[in-house]
Amino acid sequence: MLRLSLEKALNRLIESSGIDIETLEGKKINLELSELNLALVFVCTNSRIFVIDSREVKNVDVDIKLNKDAFLSLLGGTSLDELLDNEEVVINGNVKVAKKLSEMLALSSQDIEEIISHYTCDIVAHQIGKAISLAKDKIANNTTNPIEAIKDEVSTILIAPSRSHFFSNKTS
Amino acid sequence: MAKTTHFGYKEVGVDDKQGLVREVFDSVATNYDLMNDVLSMGAHRLWKRYTIASSNVKEGDRILDIAGGTGDLALKFREKVGDSGQVILTDINGAMLEEGRKSLIDRGVFDVEFVQANAERLPFEDNSFDCVSIAFGLRNVTDKEAAIRQMFRVLKKGGCLLILEFSKVENEMLEKFYDFYSFNVMPKLGGLLADDEQSYQYLAESIRKHPDQEALKTMVIDAGFDLCEYQNLSGGIVALHKAIKA
Repeated sequence: MLRLSLEKALNRLIESSGIDIETLEGKKINLELSELNLALVFVCTNSRIFVIDSREVKNVDVDIKLNKDAFLSLLGGTSLDELLDNEEVVINGNVKVAKKLSEMLALSSQDIEEIISHYTCDIVAHQIGKAISLAKDKIANNTTNPIEAIKDEVSTILIAPSRSHFFSNKTS
Repeated sequence: MAKTTHFGYKEVGVDDKQGLVREVFDSVATNYDLMNDVLSMGAHRLWKRYTIASSNVKEGDRILDIAGGTGDLALKFREKVGDSGQVILTDINGAMLEEGRKSLIDRGVFDVEFVQANAERLPFEDNSFDCVSIAFGLRNVTDKEAAIRQMFRVLKKGGCLLILEFSKVENEMLEKFYDFYSFNVMPKLGGLLADDEQSYQYLAESIRKHPDQEALKTMVIDAGFDLCEYQNLSGGIVALHKAIKA
């Protein structure tokens, strides 16, 4: 679900904003959030981006490793240069490629609710956006694995909305 | 001795399978959509929707939908690629192709192209499609390896292959229920609603003879794809394999 949403968000961004991804063409970029047990590979080909489980990809061109705080800062718009200067991120491979991807992730994060809503055109999209915000709050509060938090929240909304934090926050 | 292959649980000559599968689909073509809805309790629409969502297809793309049947995927692909794109639906079976053509025309879609073709010998140029899909068709193909190699051949560099197919159920309890449903309920419903119990018995058997998730993934990689991952849907009743041509 998360990989699919991320893939959609990034490709929607490419299509809607006309971002030039020539720098990324043919590249495979591994993004690893070690402490959160999250590893994704962004495969950039045929003028689009596929988001793949890292276990399925053997050789990557760029390897980005960072912790959850740095990842949140990145999504919040902090530049990769700043994170590199503070030694909050480790990059093996072409830094230009890593920068391009991180810029796109930051843009996708800011617009994720709107981007998803373009695909689903219904209230669920809004709820997914809220769920992601809630999950991000959870991460910020140093709770559990953020991906699991997002998955749990979205699944709860879709399967048993009454149990969702989103609705319980609204009703309380 | 002549080479054999499976047709459901029966061993048949390799040269005979295609004709036998054609008879099944000639028989089920007119009730295909209705039976899909009844037998899957509507789930096939969700599985196909997930497939489209996973396709990463965009405006202007060229899409090949193999064994496209009544055109469910082709219709959705057409919406995604827009007027600047192209969708070609192929099926080896003329009756299914005719049902697909009628179904799309009924829904106001006139620009999907229909080609009667064997998946093992696709009549298309190398590197010519952005996405190739096959939904619930691969298990009926006699030489699956040859068909996947053809899909690889016609895909552009960076193109995406999607194989939606029945697979191996993960959960033991679900598997028991699914076995009972497949071999006891499905053929009876086929007999009752489509007057064709035998074809639906074949359907249940052909699912069990189809390679499981990992075996199919290996076949896809062996055909030349750079990477392949799969997603189980409905507990593995169906799996979506997604592969990219490097």
